[in-house]
Amino acid sequence: MNKTALYITAASTVSHQPTFGNAGFSAALGPVGADHALISPDYKAYIEAGLLRRMSKILRMSVACSKECIAQAGIGQPDAIVVGTGLGCLQDTEKFLNTSLTVEGLLPPTSFIQSTHNTMAGQISLSIGNHGYNMTHTQNTLSFEHALLDASLLLHEGDRNVLVGAADEHIDILDDITGQLAFETGAALTSGASFFILSSENTAYTMAELADVHVVGGVAGIQEETDAFLGRNGLATKDVDLVLFAGNPVDGALKNVPYLALSGVYATASAFALHYAADLLQADRGVRNVLICNALRESNLGLTLLRTVEA
Amino acid sequence: MGVSITGIGVVSAIGMSVEENLRSLRESKSGIGPLHYLQGTKASRAGEVKASNDDLRRALGVSTEYVSRTSLLGLQAAREAWGDNKRSGVIRTGLISATSVGGMDRSEVFYKDYLSQNKPDYQLLTTHDSGSTTERIARELGITGYINTLSTACSSGANAIMLGARLILQGTLDRVLVGGTDALSGFTIDGFRSLMIYDEQWCRPFDESRAGLNLGEGAGFLLLEGEKSLELTGNVPVCQVSGWANAADAYHQTASSPDGKGATLAIENAIRRAGIGLGDISYVNAHGTGTKNNDHSESVALKNVFGDHIPPFSSTKAFTGHTLAAAGAIEAVFSVLAIQQNLIYPNLNYQTPIAETGLAPVAQLNTAVPVNAVLSNSFGFGGNNSSLVFTRYE
Repeated sequence: MNKTALYITAASTVSHQPTFGNAGFSAALGPVGADHALISPDYKAYIEAGLLRRMSKILRMSVACSKECIAQAGIGQPDAIVVGTGLGCLQDTEKFLNTSLTVEGLLPPTSFIQSTHNTMAGQISLSIGNHGYNMTHTQNTLSFEHALLDASLLLHEGDRNVLVGAADEHIDILDDITGQLAFETGAALTSGASFFILSSENTAYTMAELADVHVVGGVAGIQEETDAFLGRNGLATKDVDLVLFAGNPVDGALKNVPYLALSGVYATASAFALHYAADLLQADRGVRNVLICNALRESNLGLTLLRTVEA
Repeated sequence: MGVSITGIGVVSAIGMSVEENLRSLRESKSGIGPLHYLQGTKASRAGEVKASNDDLRRALGVSTEYVSRTSLLGLQAAREAWGDNKRSGVIRTGLISATSVGGMDRSEVFYKDYLSQNKPDYQLLTTHDSGSTTERIARELGITGYINTLSTACSSGANAIMLGARLILQGTLDRVLVGGTDALSGFTIDGFRSLMIYDEQWCRPFDESRAGLNLGEGAGFLLLEGEKSLELTGNVPVCQVSGWANAADAYHQTASSPDGKGATLAIENAIRRAGIGLGDISYVNAHGTGTKNNDHSESVALKNVFGDHIPPFSSTKAFTGHTLAAAGAIEAVFSVLAIQQNLIYPNLNYQTPIAETGLAPVAQLNTAVPVNAVLSNSFGFGGNNSSLVFTRYE
């Protein structure tokens, strides 16, 4: 990447934490508690009632965050919509799978229609009447980083504002599956959606600069990749004020925080970490840069570097 | 400026390789028929790849049974496109695949047992997520680094090609294997049946009597290389991908708009990106699924863009069935072959023009005209419209 500077000018997250419509949330955020639940905003303020009834959790979260971002950034239409999702629309997928295996005769199509991975991006374009580039990336734990990289390409190609985000939803069977497959998740499985406006323009709304994003599938050496990434951005690990990590901490950085404890576990939780970082960079002037080191799945590495923007 | 294509691979109902697919296209031989390998579905016909999972695993040397048919089909086509190319420490190589339902062919086996409490094998779910189907292909080919999956329903394959070209032009990658793969599943067959757009008869794209689509399965892959990679590999381009565009229709979650807004934008922008004139398009490989809605909307879009001078066009879906995320990639391979071989494929089963639009697709194989530029359309759920332009390498 490393071409023209890119800025985050809006951010919105629905999660199991008080993130939505709550700028400065990073200051007082503790780990996801034992009694956690998704904290839903008043969706009726963002989505027409008839549509809302048919929408699954992941769709509601995504559309509300998107509309909130567009309002925050003070833009009319984004030039493009780019979404990442690890597992897609699980609620509707399971519902249609169940229907198709148990119901004879004519099946109701709504859950099939809403089962495709690009339903979020499609519903966002529908709800705001957007005719731009519309893309959905699904590379399990790196889905969000891939979306962010695509958004960066678009801005380098001349777009000015891209709506980029990620969403994944929890359904009950996931707890059973992770147990049966003996996955050690380390924190509770949760749902979450985070959307951003990524802009080529530094505006009054700018929260942080996106300095770089890098993805490595089938990674051999996480430490080497991280050092090389920081080096390309003129940094060494000792220069990093804060690392938000999933997997292992980055040795040598001033501070390491495991972000899954804050967000809970879902494939695109690194999008939560990005919002947390952008929020923190605005609130705490002592933090100048944040590295998000996503090795939620150890064979996949996502690196995202955020910098403070000088006033 | 375009990006060079140096390798192609395809597997579909009409063949296990580029050569077999080309022969079927030349002979107007469809692969749509009764299902042999996928059991227990309600579809009377589909475009099934003529090989069992065991056949595919054996041929590909994949030992584990925990692999989705989607991965196996993808690997088959990806290997052919990759050919004898070597891994390299200096050529930054990526893989972008596209799939709509990933390992659903395995997940539905699990879920059936899960519902009936008949000892469900949870291990089957490790191939469920779409990303894992791509990672399997990457692992078998030894590709690491940029490995990505796009999932935008029926336009996914085209979008993988578009993203690969953009990554090369921006210098993020030097070469990238791009394509799409989808296996037939009870899930998607029931899905299209629930929408009442699954034709129990042989599909009839662009015909007034069309009554829906037949699903198919398969995969298509293309190897894209930038200047640096070409210098190092010495590969000779077989064709160029010169134009691409994606646009949202923003009309309805599944239906296409009657004015063809998204499709029109995608076609216009792709041709503009290719830097050629409307009159330079020799052939349009249409999305042409055979549904009332798509073929009407696509016809309107073609009229919007080309007016009275619509190039020869046809849909190859009556050969292969609609292969969902693979369609854009399989048809990209067909588009490359059209240019290489100077072929315009017949739109099988066409008899009567659609009353509202009056357009007649090419009904017979045409080998008599030079084909220098092909427009390929792929439109998906969510109003996701993509167009690609392929041009002769000069």
